[in-house]
This record gives sequence, structure tokens and C-alpha cells, in this order.
Amino acid sequence: MQWSRDFRLRMKILTIFFIVYVIVLSFIPLVHQIFIAQSSWLGYGTGAYAYQSPSYFVLFNDPYDGSSKPNIHVNPSSAPNDRISILEFSDWTSYVDGYNLFNDFNVTIRASGDGKVLDATYVRPGLTLQKLIDLSSDAVQVKMIASKEINAHIELWKWIMTSVNAISTESKPTVIPTGTSINFTFNDQSLNAVGEGQISLSRVPTQIEIWPFENGFNRVTIDFINSEMTFTVSGSITQPGQVSWSYGDLPYVLPVIAIVVVISYLLLAERYGQENKNRTSRTHR
Amino acid sequence: MDKRIKIALAALIVRFAIAPFFMHAGDLGTIYESSAIALHGGNLYSFVYQQTVQMQQATGLPIFFEGYAYHPLLIYFFVPFYWLYTLIAGPGLVFIGGHFPNLPVLVYPWALFAIFMLKIPIILADVAVVYLLSGFDTRKAEFYAFCPYVIFISVVWGMFDAIVAVFLLLSYLTFRKNSYALSGFAYGLSTMKLYTIVLLPLFIVRLWKQWRALGEFLLGFTVTLIPVAYYMIASPVVFWNVLVGFQGSRVMGGVNLYNFVWIIPDVQFDLLISKLPTILLIISVLAIVLLYGRKLPLLEAILAVMLASFVFGAVLNEQFLVSILPLMLLSKRCDPRIWIAPFIFVFLRSAFYYFAIPILWTSPYFYDLYFQADTVWKYLQTVGYLTIPMYAVGITFSLLLLWNLIQVLTSVDGPWVPRTLSRTIRMRRK
Repeated sequence: MQWSRDFRLRMKILTIFFIVYVIVLSFIPLVHQIFIAQSSWLGYGTGAYAYQSPSYFVLFNDPYDGSSKPNIHVNPSSAPNDRISILEFSDWTSYVDGYNLFNDFNVTIRASGDGKVLDATYVRPGLTLQKLIDLSSDAVQVKMIASKEINAHIELWKWIMTSVNAISTESKPTVIPTGTSINFTFNDQSLNAVGEGQISLSRVPTQIEIWPFENGFNRVTIDFINSEMTFTVSGSITQPGQVSWSYGDLPYVLPVIAIVVVISYLLLAERYGQENKNRTSRTHR
Repeated sequence: MDKRIKIALAALIVRFAIAPFFMHAGDLGTIYESSAIALHGGNLYSFVYQQTVQMQQATGLPIFFEGYAYHPLLIYFFVPFYWLYTLIAGPGLVFIGGHFPNLPVLVYPWALFAIFMLKIPIILADVAVVYLLSGFDTRKAEFYAFCPYVIFISVVWGMFDAIVAVFLLLSYLTFRKNSYALSGFAYGLSTMKLYTIVLLPLFIVRLWKQWRALGEFLLGFTVTLIPVAYYMIASPVVFWNVLVGFQGSRVMGGVNLYNFVWIIPDVQFDLLISKLPTILLIISVLAIVLLYGRKLPLLEAILAVMLASFVFGAVLNEQFLVSILPLMLLSKRCDPRIWIAPFIFVFLRSAFYYFAIPILWTSPYFYDLYFQADTVWKYLQTVGYLTIPMYAVGITFSLLLLWNLIQVLTSVDGPWVPRTLSRTIRMRRK
């Protein structure tokens, strides 16, 4: 018994092509992460946007979710693929002129032509509010510009801040002295990392309040009356905590999986194919 | 009792027992909504189109709302059962919302009855496949009747690939008996999920120069396109956007080697690289049709084209294999045990408790359990622990499909046998 040589060759070429194809494609996420995903707002999913700079990862959630508007993460220098949230702007719990940012406004989100600035425009009758998110090498700027003077109540969340402007324990919500700078330290619950952050405000707000939670605080609320306010957020990790697996590691793992699966297939297909061939040969005999 | 009927009845009973208590809320919700729209004479595609336009305007991204984006004929398999349901339960809504990422609101006890009624066409399709297969080999019929994967997709998920399967099988069987008009009609009905459209060039090549037979086949096929023509005339922009726009610009992924794309959060890039599998799909299907389309036995030719489209095509959802499983069972070249891969994948991509919503929504205690389990599941998803096995299973399934494709192609050029003997074999096959 013998197989047609030409046919066997064609099938071998097909198999080799496919295996090379699988392995080459498995590198695409890595290539994208290294060469394309850096320093530009990219849209995905049902309309979320993300920006990866050398030291910050910023997520702006889709219009159907009021959380992470935006959520600012820092990449620790010891584990650059880790993303540790330092501050989250919440539309669920923020209000402008008494209207909830998530429920009472129509939102459109656009990245600028060069992909450097994200423009989220909130519209309701008689009022337009823009959130412009811009990243520099050492900070993330969230600029709010309204079409008229507004009375805003903005909530910034972090689970959990161990101290805010040197205040480390309070049993009830506390109004702290207003100023243009809020410094906080935090203990990241997931990685047990310790870090510090700073929020610089372009104008002195009318009120800053901190909200206790467990052994620290989980939010800072800022009230202001103005048509413009810029929040410049920066942060760093002072104690890395435990180094663990991170979602950012996936692009490095996929090629390994592809190679392992392909090798296993080749070994099994060779063995099973041989058994199958023998069985077919016996049948024909 | 005839053994064929016994197996078919057993398949029916198993499915009826499971049907009311499980569902994929997003997919069955779409069928529920679309049945109501169709029954009241509304445009099936308007709602999906409006949602898509809204999403695109809000985000500036080429993203689509996932709703009813199938052949218009499909819904008419469900409408009679929905109508029967409304006669008994009344017109009130019992299934509200449920489009991803939202969870549905169910009104008891009628929600369970609605779920059951909407699954009847799928169950009947499954039972018809079992009955037809048992005419060839009862063991193969039993395999399909009690295969956990088939049961899961049809009655736990509530996905209708079994309807595609029965029409594809009928198209093959009637083609073999030279009933070309019927074959074309059955084939046309099988395109209700669009992915079987890749078989059209094969049927044309098989009947090339048999003009009468080709004419009959195309006539049968064309009849099934009447609702498409209606929508193309009545609301061309909406229909084109939902059916062609959505299906044509889907980001690759599924139980295949392409699901790595799910970790690349860049829809423009994802769409760009999704063109590569489409190009390979066209090349591979044309190559098989032109090189092997007439040489292979019809069954193997159909399988070769479908398998090639699954191997190279951009999107391969967990349920697609159901459509060709009956044909794989009929072919001696295929190994139908590959269902295990997409079955595993179902539980990596979707949380198992999501399918049990009709049970879990019956009590606040279960409702609470759902969210407790969901916290763990979302954590596993967020950190990427599920992505790794999903990718491994995706590649494995693609390779298994490739292996089956090669086995099917050996039908034309398999183990060498003397010409006289091969002629005898061919004569026997005929």
C-alpha cells in the first residue's frame, strides 16, 4: 500500500503552513502591545477607551457603565505589566447642578485625531460639559469644561487610602481644609502594594470631604462652582508588595501556549494518524 | 415499536425535560423579542439598527449591537410557537431585557413556559436529525441524540444550529437522490445562520453543465431568498447594515486560533487583522471547490468546504459544529469526538450559572448566589486566568478541524488501490 505522493506532499504543506500560521499569529498581541498600544487612546469592546503610557494605564469605561470615568492606574517600575489603580472618577456618584453624570446626561466619547486626548462630552438641555483626558509622562490630566458656570460634586474613589493630607483616621465623613493639592497614601488591596498619590486642582474648590472606610478612606469628594476645573493626578508605588500574575503578561504567554499545543498536536496526530492508516490498510486488505 | 422511533422519542423526552429551566439569556431574549416583532408585522432589523447607530454615535467606534442579525426566514420557525404561547399565556411581557451585559427580568411562571415554547423548533430539528440518522445507522443516531454537546447547545443554551443541521442534512440527502429543487430549497433554509453560504460554489460546481439540475437547485434556493428580497426593497439601509455590515465586520474569534484578539483592546486594529482570515477563507474554499469539488464524494466535499471555512474563517462560535455533526457522523473519514473541544470552551467563555438563570431567578437566595459566584468569575476573567485555557482550546479545536479536513480530503486521493478495485468501490458507492 502507498499513498499518492503528490497528495501527501500537499497535505504536509497544508499542515506546515497552518502550524506556522498559528505560531506567527500568537505573537500579534505582543507586537501590538510593544509597537502600537503605547501612548494613544484606543477604543474597544462596547465603547471603552484605554491609554497605556510608559508609567500610567488609564481606562475610560463605555457609555453603559458609570464607573471608571476615568480609572487611573500606575505601572510599578518593578513590575511594568501590573496595573494598580490609584484613583477612579465615578459618574455613578458625581453630580453637576444636581444632575447625575451617568443617568441624566447623553455622552459621546471621541479620541482626538492624534489619539492623545480623549474627549467625553456630556449633554443635557441647556448644559454641555466636556471631560478632556490627557496624559503627560508624569501625570494624568482630567479637565472639565462646562458651557456655563456649574455647581459640581465630583467623587474620586480609591480602595483604600490610608491617609489624605496627613489625616489617617476619622470615624465619620470629614470636611478638610480646602486647597489646590490633595496628597494621599494608599494600600492596594489586591497586590498589597503601598503607594502615594497626588491630586492637583486648577482652582480652590468650595469643599473637600473625605469618607472613612475600614482603616482609612475610600473616597474624596470635591465640590466646586465654576465653569472649569482641572484635576492633575499622579502617583507612584513605594512598596511593590507581592509580584503576581497580571493581565498584561498574557501577550508573553500566548506564543508559549501556541507552541506547546502545536507540538502536542504533531506528536498525537503522527501517532493517531499512523494507527488510523494501519486500520484503513487492514480494511482494504 | 420501531427502533428509529424509540431513539427519536428518547431524544425528544430528554430535551423536553431540560428545556424550560435553562437558557442563554442574550440569545433566547433576542428570539423572544424578534418573535414578538415579527408577529406584529414589525421590521425585525430596525431595533438592532437603531441600537447600533446609537452605539456608534456615542463612541465613535465601528461597533455593532448584537441582536437579530440572521436570515429573515429564521424567525418564522419560532413565530408559530410564540403565537401559541401568547394564546395560552396572554400578550404580557415575561422576558424583559437581557442583552449583554444586562441581565433579564423574568416574570414567573409564564417565563418558563415561554422558554420552553421557543425551544420547540430547535428540539424538533434535533429529533428530525436523530430520525434521519437512524435510517443509516442507529448508533450514529444515538450518538447525536445523547451527545452532551448537542443537548447543551440546543436545550440548555437555546441556540438553533440544529435547524441549520437538519436542513444541511436534508439538502445532502435530496441532492443524492437527484431532487435538486428540494435540495436547493433545503440548502437555502440552512443559510439562516449565514455560515453555510460557503457551500453555494460547491453545489454550483457539482451541477456545472447539468443545466437543468442546476436550474432546479437554484430555483429552490431562490425561493428561500424571497424574504431577503422583501427586506432589501422595504428597508435596504437597515437590512444591509444589520446583516451585511454586522456579519461582514465582525472581529475574529471564537473556538479557534484567533481568539487571542480578545486581549487586544483596539477595535480598529482588531478589525484590520480580521481581514486576514476572511482572505484565507475565500482562498481555501475556492481551492477545495475547484480542486476537489467534483472529485470528492458529495458528503466529503460538503464536509471539506465546511471544515475549511471553520479552520480558516474569522468567527467560529461554540455552537457551529452542531450544524455539520450529522454529516460528520455519516462520513467514515471524520472523528466526531471533536465536539469535546467546543463543549469545554462553552464553560470557559460563559459562566455555567448564567445558563441557569431561569432557576436562579426563582428565589432571592439563588439570586444572591448568582452574584456571589459572578464576583469570583469576573475576577478570573479580569486577571486573564480564563484566557489561557480558552486560547489553548481554540488552537486545539482548529488543529482538530484541520486533521479532519485532511482525513476528508483523503477520500479523493487516499490509500492507493489498483484502478480496477477503486472502480468497483466507486460503483458500489453509487
